[in-house]
Amino acid sequence: MARTVTMLAEIIDAACTGCDLCIKVCPTIALSLRDRKPSEMGPGKRIAEVDPKACYNVQNCVEICPHDAIVMHELETPFTIGTDVSMVDASAIEDLAARAGLPSSAGICVCTETTVAEIAASILLGADTPEKVSLATGARTGCTEICAHGILSLLAAAGHERKAPTNTKSQFQMYEMCGSLWSNVGVDGAGAAAIIKDFPSYPVALELQELHELQTLKANAKV
Amino acid sequence: MQTNTTLRPTELVGMRPPPLQPLWNGKVPADITDMRAADLPGMLALPLRALIPTLPPVIWAEDAALGPTDLEVIRQRAREQVLAIDWSRIQPGKSVNLIANPHGFYLSGEAYVVMLEETAAHLKNVCKARVRLRIAESMGHIENPDWVEHFKLEERFDHVKEVAQIARGIKAETRFGPMWLTHELFDADYFVHTHVTEMREGYLHRMLDRLYKPFGMAYTRVETRSAYHLGFGPRTGQMLARAVFESEFVQQRYVGTMVLDTTPEGVVGVHGDNDLDALNKRLTVSVLRNYGTLIRLMAAIDECICVFDGHGSGVYCYAGGIAFDNLFSANIDFLDLDNMGMLAMHKDDLTLPGLQPGMVMGFNQSIKYVVMNYMAAGVPQAFLFKAYPTVVVGDTLYKWHSNDPSSATFQTYAQKSPDLHSAMARAVKESGTDKVLIYDRTPGVLRVSESLANFLIQVAPAVLADVEQNRLPKWLAQRGLS
Repeated sequence: MARTVTMLAEIIDAACTGCDLCIKVCPTIALSLRDRKPSEMGPGKRIAEVDPKACYNVQNCVEICPHDAIVMHELETPFTIGTDVSMVDASAIEDLAARAGLPSSAGICVCTETTVAEIAASILLGADTPEKVSLATGARTGCTEICAHGILSLLAAAGHERKAPTNTKSQFQMYEMCGSLWSNVGVDGAGAAAIIKDFPSYPVALELQELHELQTLKANAKV
Repeated sequence: MQTNTTLRPTELVGMRPPPLQPLWNGKVPADITDMRAADLPGMLALPLRALIPTLPPVIWAEDAALGPTDLEVIRQRAREQVLAIDWSRIQPGKSVNLIANPHGFYLSGEAYVVMLEETAAHLKNVCKARVRLRIAESMGHIENPDWVEHFKLEERFDHVKEVAQIARGIKAETRFGPMWLTHELFDADYFVHTHVTEMREGYLHRMLDRLYKPFGMAYTRVETRSAYHLGFGPRTGQMLARAVFESEFVQQRYVGTMVLDTTPEGVVGVHGDNDLDALNKRLTVSVLRNYGTLIRLMAAIDECICVFDGHGSGVYCYAGGIAFDNLFSANIDFLDLDNMGMLAMHKDDLTLPGLQPGMVMGFNQSIKYVVMNYMAAGVPQAFLFKAYPTVVVGDTLYKWHSNDPSSATFQTYAQKSPDLHSAMARAVKESGTDKVLIYDRTPGVLRVSESLANFLIQVAPAVLADVEQNRLPKWLAQRGLS
């Protein structure tokens, strides 16, 4: 589903110190730092600036700003963003989704109801970072949390694995994909035995069996 | 079973919902709320104890109608439990982060703060450590009341900081690979873990290693939280939390845990231990008994209109001391580990040919309508508005939610009504039921319409018997407990 953007971030000149925290948490990189103009009275030589085309009303900047220097304003004319899946070959989308282990029809970004298919399409159209996926689709512009692993999985399946920055202090837009049950079990299931042994109080074997059964039921239904 | 001698039903019936507080982002919900849902004609405050007489007596409640309100009891218990922890790992002059969570402030208020105060005092005065209170924030933080301001935490603790899940991270290598924790929660020589046993997100943690959950969620950054949601199965997500706790990074810094043990009425105990596993096992039994019965009572409701009228967003709204997610997810018994309970990602998931009962968790079809008199934004909840007819009271609340980035499709589904009375009339007419359950965060009572009160009174004995005789023994056995 397309994402309609209804609000825009605004920097309060007198409060912004140019600390750059807001830049590090914006999933669409809508903020940048520039030199403060003489007319912009306030602390620090630098000041944050908002790109209105890239601000998707995420509000992470409001959350992180230690100086209350960002407020949100309603847009007079909301705008809509999204990726048209019909622009990409359907089989290529299915193939990428399958390699990431995700059903293409799933609304993986629960905030915007963006589907796996739409994210896959954006990647096949050239988005090679989580930020570019967000800009193209609007996914991960709400809570910025739940769908992150899915986006990173799809990017990795397309050969765009996110590498963690070497300096975690200066860069924390997004680090890297975390480990998962699936990555540890492996495609051939070889890792399952060790997990079952290491976590005896969890129904790991039953879980894997039933997840496989569910996947089979879904595949059969699709056929 | 001992009964609470302070229970006075006549006073309970008069219990008011907690007042709405100004929000962290400056919004003032009280200014846009003409009336509270509790004041709707025909609403009753049904005492939980009348439904579940087996609830243990509380040692502290926020309302005198539910039990003692003297915080000195909590202070004394906390002091005793702090002394039960071996702090010898902490040398004088070392830094210690006392990690708190916003749910503790929201649900247990001053009792939680007092437990934190006593822990901090011991660390500072006895261990001679430098103590910092670190609050592990989650999504929706800016739409919550400002708990730091509300409880004057900066006056009561030496150093206070709220740490967002989007803030700088730090890597921990675990059994499952790299995980990213929130740096400022762990930027001290040592840390102390705190928790409250109230029942939320049971459909995620499944009461498996429940006290470990923050290590897979609240103490981590977005990458790891998402891996918890999407990278593990419904009954195995907590393995991530356990793996983070058992990582070398965490074990080098972990000292002990303090827990406020609650029931839907209030606080029943304070616990402290170095051994998180032992503490988790001790508390799991009582949580399953005290909250499990109420969860099954929620599941027994055949039809209802849910009215939201308090802080919290969607699944994190509370009625009778229990979160809405317990009703929302009640179409299967998620405490029964035989049920996989995979969250339905698509409506077709629920009608797959050959689907076994309990395999997929859909939305509870007993909920017939949603009325929002006040509910916070900030947490994804489009699935709620999509699943049920939803009517919102007033232009301002409708606008707040229309602009909520976490529910970008809100306007596609939700309708608007000018006032609560017209919203309720619409909900009753269109749903065909007058059974109403209000989520206004009043503890110890379910605020319901007379028809729902009568229904609950009628079904409660059978639910209680089913839990005690059938479900609880199974839940405990599945977790290696008796």
